[in-house]
Amino acid sequence: MSIQFTFRPRVPVFDANVRVGDLHYQPSPCRNQDQLLAEMDRHGVDKALIYHAQTEEVSPLDGNGFLEEWLDSSRLFPQWSMTPTPDSLAQIQGLHEQGRVHSVRLHNARKVGLPFRPWACGTMLSWLSENRIPLWIPLPDADADELAMTLSAFPELVTVLVGAHYSHALWVRPLMTTLPNAYLELSRIEPLGEVEALCEAYGAERFVYGSWYDRLAMGSMLFYLHHTDISDSELELICAGNLLRILQGEGRHD
Amino acid sequence: MIEEQRVIDFHGHTGRLDLYNGVDDPDLILHAMDKVGIDVSCVFNIFHPDGTTGNDITARFVAEHPDRFVGFAYVSPMMAEGMVDELTRAIDELGLVAIKLYPPYTQWDLNEPIWHPIYEFANERGLAIIFHTGSDPHSHPGLLADCAAKFPNANFVSGHAGNVAEPRAAAIRAAQDYPNIFLETCSTFRTPGVIEQLVNEAGADRVLFGSDIALMDSRPQLGKIITADISDEAKRLVCGGNAARLLGI
Repeated sequence: MSIQFTFRPRVPVFDANVRVGDLHYQPSPCRNQDQLLAEMDRHGVDKALIYHAQTEEVSPLDGNGFLEEWLDSSRLFPQWSMTPTPDSLAQIQGLHEQGRVHSVRLHNARKVGLPFRPWACGTMLSWLSENRIPLWIPLPDADADELAMTLSAFPELVTVLVGAHYSHALWVRPLMTTLPNAYLELSRIEPLGEVEALCEAYGAERFVYGSWYDRLAMGSMLFYLHHTDISDSELELICAGNLLRILQGEGRHD
Repeated sequence: MIEEQRVIDFHGHTGRLDLYNGVDDPDLILHAMDKVGIDVSCVFNIFHPDGTTGNDITARFVAEHPDRFVGFAYVSPMMAEGMVDELTRAIDELGLVAIKLYPPYTQWDLNEPIWHPIYEFANERGLAIIFHTGSDPHSHPGLLADCAAKFPNANFVSGHAGNVAEPRAAAIRAAQDYPNIFLETCSTFRTPGVIEQLVNEAGADRVLFGSDIALMDSRPQLGKIITADISDEAKRLVCGGNAARLLGI
């Protein structure tokens, strides 16, 4: 395949991990929906699952409200953030009653010492599992042992492990083996040859493409995925097909 | 090659970092390079303060594929008495072509006198020196300005271009002030707009593509150059034109 200085994806792309809005210490380069769509167009990205930056470190409840103005019925789809409190559960349940919850993202309550353990998160995880709502879990905020032990207690819950970095390199395979209904989002998978090796070990059905824009540049990982040994049918699964299946509540493998 | 442009990766490692699954398997490295048209990768070994052990490893690694890799020499002021002798051996006998330095492994800022024998050596021979640069005090790229002024015939490369916003801004200012300062692009942060910032503010002729292979796969790091909002001409310089000029290869 000849390499060029311009790049366009050759399969449909549904980005599983896009952040919108400002962090309190870092304004976003995209100030509004139009600018985000323009950036997606520049990289050939058709659709994106988006969450609001305010949900990361300030308030998942308020941040979910700020997300509304970014949504677009055809290209930008909401990912609501959630934390194990009654208020948060009530907010997500209300949205669910409106038919608007197809995934949620875990807010980092570990930052204040609340572990990801059944006694702390069990009510939330039980409700998600019963309602077949997949949970995105950012690995930079997580503890490997808590993930393995807690998620093993909710075997029907589908999860997407987000942002595995080379500093998580020793976690990834044991977690993927222990948690058959876990997917791995690929925005930060940088160890040498690891995309091909993971697909070989677990099958392309276990992976989803995310850019983690605007934390990371949008195009670099998409370029990488298009220059591997994985087949185009596998690439289609990773870049859109698996995510669509997960959001439809059909992500279980076991 | 990308559109007839030879592509040179200016930042790569030999040796294993098992905690991070960093494996210097030449077959895996060449596979990643071949998939995206990288012709040559520059490699060095920073894990041995004597310099000798790592430089020998690098030389053996390069010798297996001399058309695809070039080696850089590493020394450390933690064993300062042997630095210049080891550099002489590494360049003259092992055939390594530039120098890598890693100030976070030491207790000295990169512009302190203990480093100067290395800079004098590079200055005499017109060599390039790539530093790890970032937010830690020893590696702050703003300090490169002092070195560049004192040793104008050496070329100073800010590895990672400072990595994050404040040191990156300092690296750019240093490159604007001194023609012998260059900015190298590899970073796990992959922050949006950084490649555009480096090219627009320091100039496309001062930016070098690097990947940090084998700690990181070279493909996403090249991808951030290819997908940056800069001209094709700028991409040619960043991807290989500047490195070829700097290394004389």
